[in-house]
Amino acid sequence: MAEFSATVYQNQFLPDGGTDVMAIVSVNCSGAGQAGTGGGTPGEVIIIDTSGSMQVEAMEAAKAAAIAALREIVDGTYFAVVSGNGAAFLAYPPVRSGPGMVPMSAQTRAEATYAVSQLSSGGGTVISTWLDLAGVLFQSVPQVTQRHAILLTDGENNEPPEVLDAAVGRAAGFFQCDCRGIGVEWKVSEIRRIAQSLLGTVDIIPAPHQLAAEFAAMMRASMSRGVADATLRVWAPQGAQVLFVRQVAPTVEDLTTRRTPVNDLTGDYPTGAWSDESRDYHVGVRLSARGVGQEQLASRVQIVVGGAVAAQGLVKATWSDDSALTARIDQQVAHYTGQTELAAAIQEGLAAKAAGQEELATTKLGRAVQLAKETGNEEATAKLRKVVEIDDAETGTVRLKRAVDKADEMALDTASTKTTRVRP
Amino acid sequence: MSEGLCPQCREPLTAGAAFCEACGAAVMAATGGASAPGAPPQSDPLDERAPISAATRPARPAPAAVPAGPRPCAECGGEVGEDLYCTTCGAKAPSARDHFEEAPAGWVAGVCDRGVRHSRNEDAMALAASDTPGEHAVLVVCDGVSTSKDSDVASMAAVRAALEVLRAPLPAGLGVSESADAAADQVFTRAAAAANTAVIAHSDPSSPNPASCTFVAAVLAGALLRYAHLGDSRAYYLPDDGEGRQLTLDDSMAQMLMAGGMPRAEAESSPQAHSITRWLGTDAEGVVPTVGRTEVTAKGWILVCSDGLWNYASEPAALREQIRAVGSSDPLTITQALVEWAKAQGGHDNITAALARVEGGTADG
Repeated sequence: MAEFSATVYQNQFLPDGGTDVMAIVSVNCSGAGQAGTGGGTPGEVIIIDTSGSMQVEAMEAAKAAAIAALREIVDGTYFAVVSGNGAAFLAYPPVRSGPGMVPMSAQTRAEATYAVSQLSSGGGTVISTWLDLAGVLFQSVPQVTQRHAILLTDGENNEPPEVLDAAVGRAAGFFQCDCRGIGVEWKVSEIRRIAQSLLGTVDIIPAPHQLAAEFAAMMRASMSRGVADATLRVWAPQGAQVLFVRQVAPTVEDLTTRRTPVNDLTGDYPTGAWSDESRDYHVGVRLSARGVGQEQLASRVQIVVGGAVAAQGLVKATWSDDSALTARIDQQVAHYTGQTELAAAIQEGLAAKAAGQEELATTKLGRAVQLAKETGNEEATAKLRKVVEIDDAETGTVRLKRAVDKADEMALDTASTKTTRVRP
Repeated sequence: MSEGLCPQCREPLTAGAAFCEACGAAVMAATGGASAPGAPPQSDPLDERAPISAATRPARPAPAAVPAGPRPCAECGGEVGEDLYCTTCGAKAPSARDHFEEAPAGWVAGVCDRGVRHSRNEDAMALAASDTPGEHAVLVVCDGVSTSKDSDVASMAAVRAALEVLRAPLPAGLGVSESADAAADQVFTRAAAAANTAVIAHSDPSSPNPASCTFVAAVLAGALLRYAHLGDSRAYYLPDDGEGRQLTLDDSMAQMLMAGGMPRAEAESSPQAHSITRWLGTDAEGVVPTVGRTEVTAKGWILVCSDGLWNYASEPAALREQIRAVGSSDPLTITQALVEWAKAQGGHDNITAALARVEGGTADG
């Protein structure tokens, strides 16, 4: 049985007249077990891009990756393989009606492996149809309650953004999806939007030979999520305003706009399935100031699994006239505030660079270098170094590199939301 | 809500404990129990050996029907959650530690309160009295030092430990006054030592600011009052007529300044006035209290209090005026009024006031 715990990091002391309370709520899950142990039946859909742009080497790597992923799917898990180009095709199981997914077994694994090996490339890239088919497949097996997909693409989506957005909207809250891009012809912002909405990860696989290991790892991770679904429930007192709710570790994901009201004072934010892991959330609440010496609760932050509260953290506010207490900024809050700004600076800097706004790009990426150093994010620093020449990291003085490997730039972009934890 | 856990901090409780060892919350408070908040356990083995009882009567008449579950929020009337914060407005439900009253007998009572400006009540108070007015009373007050971490828990443990030592009648020695004095001094020294041990046991040894607190205790036996203190919590004798007296001289910078000739008002308002020079706790240098005795032959009041009260009325005459202004002869009503008055003055510190009524007579001890 999975056990959740929540730890709150904050400075609860506000100066006289202070209104804004910031806290990091660190949620830890242990004993999650394998997917399916929590009661729900897991389902996996592997979506492989088979558009004409997939060259032989990439196509063979994609097939090998799908087969590697099939090997990781635990027996009994319902699964299907989708081949996607200008439309979506059910590559496996070979059914024309009824449930579109079958339970994994030695036999179905062998059949699916053969089906994948027969895939060939051709046609365009219309990702909305792929997502919709995955949704239909999940719907066809009602007992599957823990739904996860892996999506591989190599090119830009050939349809209006609003069409894709609509499909993402249909999938959001229904299944989770980890997305990987192979090569450099796909658009990070587009695929990131899919992954973020579907509570998944996004990354670039620069070389085809790296794909199989990545797919196996993604599937292993999914199979280790014994908690099918959990939501973050945030209560704030009457008259208070929840300024934001963000996941800040292991990646920055803004959840603020994804609130589902529970009642006037409480809202739920989706967090998807959990394995043995810990995630940190940054919550900001604006209160009406009370008198010095008064204490109140600013927020109850709960993890809700299957309708029951599994863990709770209390965010408090105490007004004080002791500036030694009120002036302190919590180390965790400061750290993640910096990491959130770092993610934004990288994304805005790269967007500006792509739009030819070199001055803005230099400023933003310079700020990113400075923040990466301040917050000890060495991975971000290493990736930034491939895109800019760093003259002085402390002040954020950088120059844009003239010749940048497109894959390095995309790797910086996809990794921008990854955060580091505070060092003890 | 699990019975074995503190409703406030969820730490395990000691069996029969009235307070949580971890956070100081009164365990009965959250469920609206009939026991007076802050009162020691109802049955006490010491009651059978000693002629006085700690809680022979509740501080207030017990309500006819004890409401089930926590009381509604004092601020908005909303429901108070298991975490003791209002589920609507988030206001913290006042814990029994924030404000408690004791009235072990009709002639002895006290109030211990968080005040206004502090977020915790680090004062503590423990009282005992015989049913017969004027026969025997014990009043103990400790004021936790607010810069240290666990002072609220430590001070509560301290007053309890001291009360247990002082609860039995003080020894009469060999029948001569000097012998009785020496024996009584020893009991006070033991009481302070027990309180000190309790403070150390309830402070985090790894903290750079270990818990510490002041100590004042007064024991009335007939017309003889004995008292002892460390720090700046005080005992006063305030006869209804005539001059009142501050019995204890603070171990504080202010007192040192006054000893050097500075007027009281100026000394007590100087920046260092509240720095105490003696206290209980890990870093205390000696915990033998300063002891004294006086005959209380005139009708009046024994007042034991923390600086949260005397900050607003230090002179005995000023305190007597406040008591008189209440217009009551009930010590609980008066101490409630004194605390409310100190809060109205700003309530910058925790406030404790405990009174015992002296009916006058001749000294025989």
